[in-house]
Amino acid sequence: MLAHRRRWLAAMSLLALGATACRDVGQADSRGQMRLVFKYQPLGPDPAPMRDLLADFERQHRNVEIATEQLPNDADSALQYFLTALEAGADFDVLVVDIIWVPMFARAGWIADLSQEFPAELIRGDFLAGAAEAAIVEGRVFAVPWYTDVGLLYYRTDLVPRAPRTYAELEQFAAEAHRKEPSVQGYLWQGRQYEGLVCNALEAIWGFGGTTETEQLRIDSPAARAGLGYLRSLLRGGVSPSSVQSASEEDSRRVFQSGKAVFMRNWPYAWNEAQAEDSPIRGRVGFAPLPTAKGEPGHGALGGWQLAVNARSPPARRAAATRLVAHLTSVQANLSLATAYGRRPARRAAYQDVSSLPSFDKALYPILQNARPRPLTPYYNLISDALQSEFSAAIVGIREPEQALRRAQQQINRLTAAVQ
Amino acid sequence: MKMSPAASERYQPYALVAPTVAVLLSVAAYPVLATLWLSLHRLIIVFHDRRFVGLANYASLFGDGRFWSSLGNTCYFAGAAVPAELVLGLLLALLLDSAIRGRSALRAVVLLPWAAPTVISAKIWMYLFNPQSGPIGATVLHGVDWLGTPPYAMWAAILLDIWKTTPFVALLLLAGLQAIPTSVPEAAQVDGASTWRMLWQIKLPLIRRSIVVALLFRTLDAFRVFDSIYVLTQGGPANTTETLSIYTYKTLMKAGDFGYGSTLAVATFLSIVSISLLYLVALRSRIAERA
Repeated sequence: MLAHRRRWLAAMSLLALGATACRDVGQADSRGQMRLVFKYQPLGPDPAPMRDLLADFERQHRNVEIATEQLPNDADSALQYFLTALEAGADFDVLVVDIIWVPMFARAGWIADLSQEFPAELIRGDFLAGAAEAAIVEGRVFAVPWYTDVGLLYYRTDLVPRAPRTYAELEQFAAEAHRKEPSVQGYLWQGRQYEGLVCNALEAIWGFGGTTETEQLRIDSPAARAGLGYLRSLLRGGVSPSSVQSASEEDSRRVFQSGKAVFMRNWPYAWNEAQAEDSPIRGRVGFAPLPTAKGEPGHGALGGWQLAVNARSPPARRAAATRLVAHLTSVQANLSLATAYGRRPARRAAYQDVSSLPSFDKALYPILQNARPRPLTPYYNLISDALQSEFSAAIVGIREPEQALRRAQQQINRLTAAVQ
Repeated sequence: MKMSPAASERYQPYALVAPTVAVLLSVAAYPVLATLWLSLHRLIIVFHDRRFVGLANYASLFGDGRFWSSLGNTCYFAGAAVPAELVLGLLLALLLDSAIRGRSALRAVVLLPWAAPTVISAKIWMYLFNPQSGPIGATVLHGVDWLGTPPYAMWAAILLDIWKTTPFVALLLLAGLQAIPTSVPEAAQVDGASTWRMLWQIKLPLIRRSIVVALLFRTLDAFRVFDSIYVLTQGGPANTTETLSIYTYKTLMKAGDFGYGSTLAVATFLSIVSISLLYLVALRSRIAERA
């Protein structure tokens, strides 16, 4: 019956998209060797450091051979692959998951409960708080943090005296910089209707003291109204250019890097770009926690990827798969991904390694510790879809924040009630 | 019982087309029926929530404001883009049909927008519309962020579609124009018909079928538009550029709601079928009229 339904699903996705889900299936043993299939996204243009990391594992486990299969780099495409492939029982053993998918994949029974090998206390003790929470679903561990990301504020050290701590300071500094340098814009962030907007909006909501707890997400709160109202006022008051309304990360970064803006909210990757040899703003960029309404360091939205084991991976391969996860998430692996690919370690211990960790990562540590995950719920994708359109309506001014949040709350209630 | 030669001859054609029919059924009919069947279920794969709900999904479709607004967006898109493409395509076809210099080179150049992959064209237009660095966005539009501001975002999508598919319409109409025997316009010329009259009373009536075919193709394509808009705006801002296909895609592939997503797919499918039927009837009656 299940197989039957899977065929329906497969046929359906064909119709809906006219696209075939590619199913490269790990083949059985050759020469009595065990073959582990690792499904991940390329981390950078140079495959060598990653290959070395996997070769290390093969040296330590002579009977294991690792086959890598690449996922699309775009998170939406990767999710689309997983939705069809995991449901159809695809044959790979270790996979990468975006932190927002872990509760969903766990609930669907697609990824294995790793609590035996990685007890929750261990995960909480060894990894950054947000990343650890994102890996634990109802007290059980379903993934191990691999690398991590956080939203932060970039500013131009030559245009403002220091990083602003409050929203009012940010506006004031932007206005002062604009007076000094009229061609320069104020604050860039990501307002396009997509997942990035949810991160930006949640950060503003948290900046007004709001919380977005998982159980019964209450998005329609005074803090949320204030947060969305603030984002709207940035656009209305000209602190942020209208281009923010269609901007994603790269749009913001390009403008900021060309020297045309004072402030930018972005992920850590923008740092390496801004400090590259040919960057016009090299040496004139600082970063700080996001500002808040009252001035305490803001919570950046937590991003990042984790490693999980396919629940359908046969028991024989399961042990080796778990060891591969342990190997790839070790302090050593954390450090080599940080130096080779600029991926921020998820392990606390990696930040104590003064010699091999890039200094930017070390400085980022307090911001990472303060990072907050987006709502950890298996409904996240359903909820995010509703939030994206309502947040977008509020910031472009189609609806007032109150109205947009009321509508978002109604949709969230309907979506979660329908499933329960 | 042995079949008479006449009977076996009668069945032979069926036997010969059987493989084709089987292939068509498996790649066309089966997915459609499968989707139809899925649309009668509540099926959110993440929650293993699978049960037969009959027409409940269709009932929620009628009360789903987002469905109606995406249907409205789709109609608006098709209604604005297709007539513009037809008019511009016709002008282009007439130009290409006339004996101007460098005609063959022009024909090749004109086809370029249509030949370029949609995603790449959409990325190029995204850049053009960029309010800070885009050649259109930063100058003509005075820094107004078209892609982030309703209703301009939809206009941007319509402009992209017109730019991209006018050549296709022109090509179809050009084929129609070339099929007109040269004796007809010559005779009209001898009779002293003006260019204007020649266009309205000779050329257009003679390429009427090409026009209907071009309209049919374009309306269907416009109605299931996905890739260009998805690249430009992902349906934003505030879902103002969300078409039926984008809503369907998001429901299926992002939310993983395969039951309701299938219902949306069926709704899209039915809209497209009814449009094709309308055009087919139009085409038939015209042919009958002529016969």
